[in-house]
Amino acid sequence: MLQMTQISKVFRTDLVETHALREFSLQVDEGEFVTITGPSGCGKTTFLNIAGLLETFTAGNYLLDGADVSKLGDYQRARLRNEKIGFIFQSFNLMPDLNLFDNVDVPLRYRGMKAAERRERIDAALDSVGLLSRKKHIPSQLSGGQQQRVAIARALVGEPRFLLADEPTGNLDSNTAMGVMELLQEINSTGTTIIMVTHDTELAQKSRRNIHILDGRIAEEGASTSAEPAAVPA
Amino acid sequence: MFLYYLRLSALSYRRNPILSTLMVLAVAIGISAYMIVFTLNYTMGGDPIPHKSGQLFHVQLDSGNPNTEADPPVQLTYIDAMHLQETSRAFRQTATSKFSSIVEPANPEIRPFSVIGRGAYADFFSMFDVPFQYGSGWDSAADRDLQQVVVLSAELNERLYGGADSVGETLEFDGDFWRVVGVMQEWNPVPKFYDINNGPFDNGEEMYIPWRHLVARDLPRAGNTNCWKSIEGTGLEAFLNSECVWIQYWVELRNADEEADYLAYLNNYVSEQKALGRFERPMNNALFDVNEWLVKEEVLPEETRILSMLAAMLLAVCLLNTIGLLLAKFLGKSAEIGVRQALGAHKGSLFIQHVIEAGFIGLLGGLLGLVLAGYGLEGVKLLLGNELMVTDWIRLNVPVVIITILLAIVATIVAGLYPIWRACNINPAMHLKTQ
Repeated sequence: MLQMTQISKVFRTDLVETHALREFSLQVDEGEFVTITGPSGCGKTTFLNIAGLLETFTAGNYLLDGADVSKLGDYQRARLRNEKIGFIFQSFNLMPDLNLFDNVDVPLRYRGMKAAERRERIDAALDSVGLLSRKKHIPSQLSGGQQQRVAIARALVGEPRFLLADEPTGNLDSNTAMGVMELLQEINSTGTTIIMVTHDTELAQKSRRNIHILDGRIAEEGASTSAEPAAVPA
Repeated sequence: MFLYYLRLSALSYRRNPILSTLMVLAVAIGISAYMIVFTLNYTMGGDPIPHKSGQLFHVQLDSGNPNTEADPPVQLTYIDAMHLQETSRAFRQTATSKFSSIVEPANPEIRPFSVIGRGAYADFFSMFDVPFQYGSGWDSAADRDLQQVVVLSAELNERLYGGADSVGETLEFDGDFWRVVGVMQEWNPVPKFYDINNGPFDNGEEMYIPWRHLVARDLPRAGNTNCWKSIEGTGLEAFLNSECVWIQYWVELRNADEEADYLAYLNNYVSEQKALGRFERPMNNALFDVNEWLVKEEVLPEETRILSMLAAMLLAVCLLNTIGLLLAKFLGKSAEIGVRQALGAHKGSLFIQHVIEAGFIGLLGGLLGLVLAGYGLEGVKLLLGNELMVTDWIRLNVPVVIITILLAIVATIVAGLYPIWRACNINPAMHLKTQ
């Protein structure tokens, strides 16, 4: 489903070249919950950005659902992101002057969906994270944990097959972080593939598979022990 | 999506009110300065009778001084005007000139007052499509028989009869009684093309009478009179037989054939006059349609061109400032743009969103610019009031309002193209981690 082969990413300036990923190969199957760990600057976020089609790569091959993404233009990449990928960020990245309803509405707007269907989906997404009653509130009126739940609702509202989470609990206290992690596990149990970058080894243990990156390469890969297997839809 | 983007534009304005207001002010100042000058140019240089300006012609006969290279006179002598009028070779024609007189109202509560009137032939009203409130102009029999008939302006009718239908009433002026046959609606073409020589921005006259009365009664002339040659003798008869020019002459010709025929007729007439010792300059007769006449007489002064350039430069400076402000605003939204890209926005949709946002700023700038332009034009009236006598014609009108708004929107969008291009080409990955 997601297959990266010998991916390299080099950031160049006039003075230096930085190798963020070196011959990075990874396959993620449908329904998996994969955590990516590693020290700062090891290439975790670069991997996630390439996986989410937000960044191009210097060399290698990347197939997403069998499609070679290196051959796609801006419009097709945007469409893939909109239809197949949901993003969750460490700092939530909600739009401060839009209320929760309108924040969750953003990906559906780009899909050209009709108003009635959008309303139905947004209400369902907010309900699933327990925030439907606050849909007219703006993000600053919510706690960090609640904002991250809105971001999850926004990521899920388009019913993506992939959820890419970049340290989604990084700005949360441990209790709230655990709540968010449980929510992600619940989402994974419905068949959504999740790839999560995290520094938190305890959280990483809760996924089904953990990949440790060092200097842009996979240093260690193994199955986590405490994770429940996801139900992959037929 | 248009309404969605419009709503986002309003929210974006609210998020950065100071920056956004600065942009609106920059656009408003530039647009208002430009529109003040544009309004002056538009009104001063516009076609005052667009539906038939190509069929109305000012007649030029070069009876000027042969010892100078001065331009041909813009008016005709009495001899020439009467010849053209009597032969009546055009579809319609009229000699016309201004006079002054004293009106003695029947109502004893209104004191006698002086008026500026115009002598004309019956064709004047149909040639220039003069609109009537009551009655109509007179017919050619009134010209021929010197009937004492008068057409009043709406303003004079208001003053004398309170705006009521005064057709059939008797009005006393020049010591005689005149029958009112028509009352005009407000009619004040700008520029006053049919008598540019006496002031292209003067108001229309207050009363109109058959032209021949001007001579028959030796009414005081109120317009310009130019004589290159001394008048031989004294009295009215000597003046009428002189080379003094004081009569405007207009003809209506329906097509190019009629125009060619009429010009040939003028040339024949002047050839005959040359044989009699008049028209000593080389043949230089011409017909100018309304717009050609306005251009030839340079109704639009040179100063307005300089003003136009200055206003355009000010607008350019304001738009350059707007480019800088838009750049700051849009690059300040990099994180939001990055998120939108992550959620499925492609560069095209982001481009449209920001074009609409720039257009929204332009719309607000245009609306504020209109208000500023309105005040600015009042200031221009105060400045020009004494010089041009009447400045009522200086006002914003529907075409100017529409052009102002469109210009503001388009100019702001054009100014925003570079900032929008920069904003749409940010690397989203750079901004998603750091928001």
